[in-house]
Amino acid sequence: MSNPTPPVGPGLPDTQTLVTEPTRAPEREGKKAKTGKPASLWTDAWYDLRRRPMFILSVIIIFVLLVMSFWPSLFTSIDPFNARSCDLSTARQGPSPGHLFGRDNLGCDLYARTIYGARNSIIIGVFTTIVTTLIGSLLGIIAGYKGGAVDAVSSRFTEIFFAIPAILGALLIAATFRGRANSILLVIVALGVLGWPMTYRIMRAAVITAKSQDFVVAARALGAGAGRIMFRHLLPNSLAPVIVVATINLGGFIAAEAALSFLGVGVLSPDISWGLMIADARNRFLEAPLPLVFPAAFLCVTVLAFIMMGDAVRDALDPKLR
Amino acid sequence: MRVTKGAQIVAGTALLALAVAACGGGASDSGGTAAGGGDTTPVRMEIGEPQELLVPQNTTETEGSEVLAALFSPLVGYDENKQPVEEAAESVTTEDSKVWTIKLKSGYTWHDGTAVTAADYARAWNYAALQDNAMSASYFFGRIDGYEDVHPGEGKKPSAKEMKGLKVVDDLTLEVTLAAPFSQFKTMLGYTAFYPLPESAIGPDGKVTQAYGEQPIGQGLFKLDKPYKKGTDATIEASVYDKFPGKKPSNWTKLQFKVYTSAETAYNDLQAENLDVDDSLPPSAIASAKAALGDRYFDEPDASIGYIGVPLKYNPDFQDVQVRRAISLAIDRKTIAETVFSGTRAPADDFINPAIPGYRQGACDACTYNPAEAKKLYDEAGGPKNIEVGYNADGGHKEWIEAVANNLRANLGIEVTPKPFEKFQGILDALDGKEYKGLFRMGWAIDYPAAENYLSPIFGTGAIESGSNYGGYSNKEFDELIKKGDQATDAAEGLKFYQQADDILIKELPYIPVYFYRSNFGHSTKVKNVKLNLLNQIDWADVEKA
Amino acid sequence: MGRYVIRRLIQAIPVLFGATLLIFCIVFALPGDPIAALFGDKRPDPAIAEVLREQYHLNDPLLLQYWYYISGVLFRGDFGVNFADVPVSQIMAGKFQVTLNLALTALVMEAVIGVGLGLWAALRRGKATDTMILASTLLFISVPTLVTGFVLQLLLGVKLKQWTGADIFPVAGTFAGWRSYLLPGFVLAGTSIAYLTRLTRTSLAETLRADYIRTATAKGLSRRRVVGRHGLRNALIPLVTFLGADLGNLMGGAVITETIFNLQGIGNQLFQSVYLREQPVVVGIVTILVLIYILANLVVDMLYALLDPRIRYE
Repeated sequence: MSNPTPPVGPGLPDTQTLVTEPTRAPEREGKKAKTGKPASLWTDAWYDLRRRPMFILSVIIIFVLLVMSFWPSLFTSIDPFNARSCDLSTARQGPSPGHLFGRDNLGCDLYARTIYGARNSIIIGVFTTIVTTLIGSLLGIIAGYKGGAVDAVSSRFTEIFFAIPAILGALLIAATFRGRANSILLVIVALGVLGWPMTYRIMRAAVITAKSQDFVVAARALGAGAGRIMFRHLLPNSLAPVIVVATINLGGFIAAEAALSFLGVGVLSPDISWGLMIADARNRFLEAPLPLVFPAAFLCVTVLAFIMMGDAVRDALDPKLR
Repeated sequence: MRVTKGAQIVAGTALLALAVAACGGGASDSGGTAAGGGDTTPVRMEIGEPQELLVPQNTTETEGSEVLAALFSPLVGYDENKQPVEEAAESVTTEDSKVWTIKLKSGYTWHDGTAVTAADYARAWNYAALQDNAMSASYFFGRIDGYEDVHPGEGKKPSAKEMKGLKVVDDLTLEVTLAAPFSQFKTMLGYTAFYPLPESAIGPDGKVTQAYGEQPIGQGLFKLDKPYKKGTDATIEASVYDKFPGKKPSNWTKLQFKVYTSAETAYNDLQAENLDVDDSLPPSAIASAKAALGDRYFDEPDASIGYIGVPLKYNPDFQDVQVRRAISLAIDRKTIAETVFSGTRAPADDFINPAIPGYRQGACDACTYNPAEAKKLYDEAGGPKNIEVGYNADGGHKEWIEAVANNLRANLGIEVTPKPFEKFQGILDALDGKEYKGLFRMGWAIDYPAAENYLSPIFGTGAIESGSNYGGYSNKEFDELIKKGDQATDAAEGLKFYQQADDILIKELPYIPVYFYRSNFGHSTKVKNVKLNLLNQIDWADVEKA
Repeated sequence: MGRYVIRRLIQAIPVLFGATLLIFCIVFALPGDPIAALFGDKRPDPAIAEVLREQYHLNDPLLLQYWYYISGVLFRGDFGVNFADVPVSQIMAGKFQVTLNLALTALVMEAVIGVGLGLWAALRRGKATDTMILASTLLFISVPTLVTGFVLQLLLGVKLKQWTGADIFPVAGTFAGWRSYLLPGFVLAGTSIAYLTRLTRTSLAETLRADYIRTATAKGLSRRRVVGRHGLRNALIPLVTFLGADLGNLMGGAVITETIFNLQGIGNQLFQSVYLREQPVVVGIVTILVLIYILANLVVDMLYALLDPRIRYE
């Protein structure tokens, strides 16, 4: 969330390393040359991705996490939402047969809670990414294409959101509406409201580059309307950097959810989330570290998996950086 | 009085609770700012950040009170038998529990050298009571005749500036007339709100000045060395006031309050001997503190209580006393006290706290853990299948509420949802607005050390409108007994009636008592003879440097 | 250049107003009564609450409240008082000091560790060291501050002391002076160190491929001189700008670190003030952070021009 990016000031040379020109990937030696057909950016990238061990590893981890979120009962027979599975007098006990990770501060099974915690993290990560990508791209494409006053106003508007420190802003929003809406929805909104400006900038920069290209000029000459040009021509050709930033952000949003839950404004009990578990374990952390360590480890692996995937996708889509 | 410590003990989200905000700024370890030579190194005491400026009449929380207690000498203190004894007062007498004569000891002076007079007390109390001054301690004066004139209530203008029940007879005599007899009035006088104010405290606009709030002039053992800049300063420094007529510490003169925001940090400093007295040991440290501190560790009753409140007025589901008994029997108080609180709480077994005269051990028969009986009673009475338990998320209550919820779910076979509210006030608003009608957590820290304070302010019919009777419990017989106790001509006789009133509560369980607080404190090897008084304040005059 | 600065500053005005108004509105919408919050578990005396509400203008409409606030800031430099009548500027001064200390510690660590590792990786490009460094940056980017904070607190703050008896890294608080900032500074810097390592590596690698480097090498200059004098100097531009912009990010993003290590900085203060609904404190802190962000970006753009003569601002 607080990933620093080199600033892009007005009148400045574009320093966004993520922005690629929508050019065709350079011809490469290897198998695909045999097909004789020039590969598109996407097929080229896909070909590249399949050969990256990092990508494959991350996809496997993400697959396991997805299964875990949809069918947690495949991994554990204990239902953490059933109070009878908790026994206060066993609180903070270490791992034992049947209780792989031990017990938490309320004597509930730590392993079951950790498994069930995956769902909310994944939901929040995925939906926040969708929200920010939609808002950011839409505004970005309009600002980039229209230019002039529209661009100036929307860029200032975006800067307001950029200037507010993301985690503090999200904290404020989440605290404001806490208890008045579903806590998971609220986290998505809080992170979404402050998470889109990055996508906006990237989309805008990509559209500005793309719009002076011949195919756009040609489309306009043929009488295509603004809508058609934006969504049929500019969008597909500016999508690559946006997708890259979206995959990387996904991991960041999952981490941000944990941060908000840790601060007490994210997911609320009885829902389970890793950030919430970390917050609950915090007081007794020095005495009993395991209830904090296990959800933290799952959190790390999840974020790592998404960021690894994002990294691989970027390398594949952005040959310039290689 | 509010327990701000309670919030502080449980870190995490509780860090933001109430007054637990403070400064950093890199204070030095040794507190070597004390002037002079080797034996003036200060005795260092842990506090949380005071919530308000240091004005006694606006201080109703524990941290500010702790500082003010060092700067002021109360009219009465409390002896080993928890009975009020005169300190700054020569005598406090009454014939009928209605008209009280307070004679002051001569020889007390303000830290600026001027003599303390009865008028200083009248000034302070009138100032506190006057509605326009918005002093948080104004309710302490509600029993004094003429309070309605200066504090007529919301939307009304005060018709007088002073209470007619306060009469300055001469320089050292104050006569207080109460609106109705109250046998426990003397015990109230030891509290922060009853400290006097010097004439210089009031500015030209008739309000206590900002400068006074930063560096209050008291008449007590210690004098502040410099103004305390809230939010910036990490310490509050004070020295013994040489003209103080009472007992002084035998071999030290400097006192330093160190402002901490985390109980863990303070405990670390205590072990490293960077702190001398720490009275808010965190639950996570209790086990190790016993071993690490040995005979420098103390565990004593504290006068506060934690309950599960029942919204009798709002929810017919809880009208049946058997339902309330069943809920009470289903709570495993002992395990909660030991595991969730690590012994910083004790299981409650009365409505009156063991720290206060009038407590009877094991008085509450429904406060024992008996899941089988609970289930039976609950099923017979047909208690609700779904209940909510509200708590304020800012005070570190989540864990024990979850534990109670687990008890109820498992033992009564019902659905229980813990429901967090932003603030305690949020629960009350939701009850009033009929948006919420579940159980709720409730805590009570006494305003004065009398059994009566656990009864009428929380359960009296009169307290529904203007007090803390949030559940709306009302019982004529109970109210009668309280009135008889109030009118008794001596405190001991009054207590008998109060205990009879307590018996009614035990039978009817308008709230379900869950735990009594404990005071867990420790001190470094550099000091000895550290004792907490009934108000959880240190008797500094007795403390010696080792 | 002067005109450019002025134009940028003028453009910043609506951003500043927009951000403060936005925050003001959000805090205004915070549930619960700020006055009631002062009374903890007791129901506030309605008469007193009313007097206080009047005193702090809480009965006035939102825009009027905003006007009281912003006019105080603009015309008197007065950020208002909190509900204990303590001036917000006094509260902020102390807290900003702590956060600034923390952010600067983090920035120094970033510069030393990040640039150092990046340099090393760039010079060993394609070798095992390079791969190792790259892989560990990925790890650093991925592990949330929340986790690094607790793990390092346990390992270096507690266990190290238990095992060796050396009290190097205090567990929490600022009572140990500058040493208090080492551990939290590193935790806060974590992600940025990783980004800076990558940036240094890429930037230096790109520079080293440039023609003038080839010329310098061809002239027979030593490798040390080529890298140090010619390569690093030009590769520095993006690094300096990154560091400049990161100061604002570090200050605004320190809340988790401050909470874990119990540092009483602005993040912590803001967090508490949100709960106490202390509007002036919340808005004051955010305003200053927004200002820092705007100024930091401006300074960074200026630095661009200074470091790279090819860039000229009109």
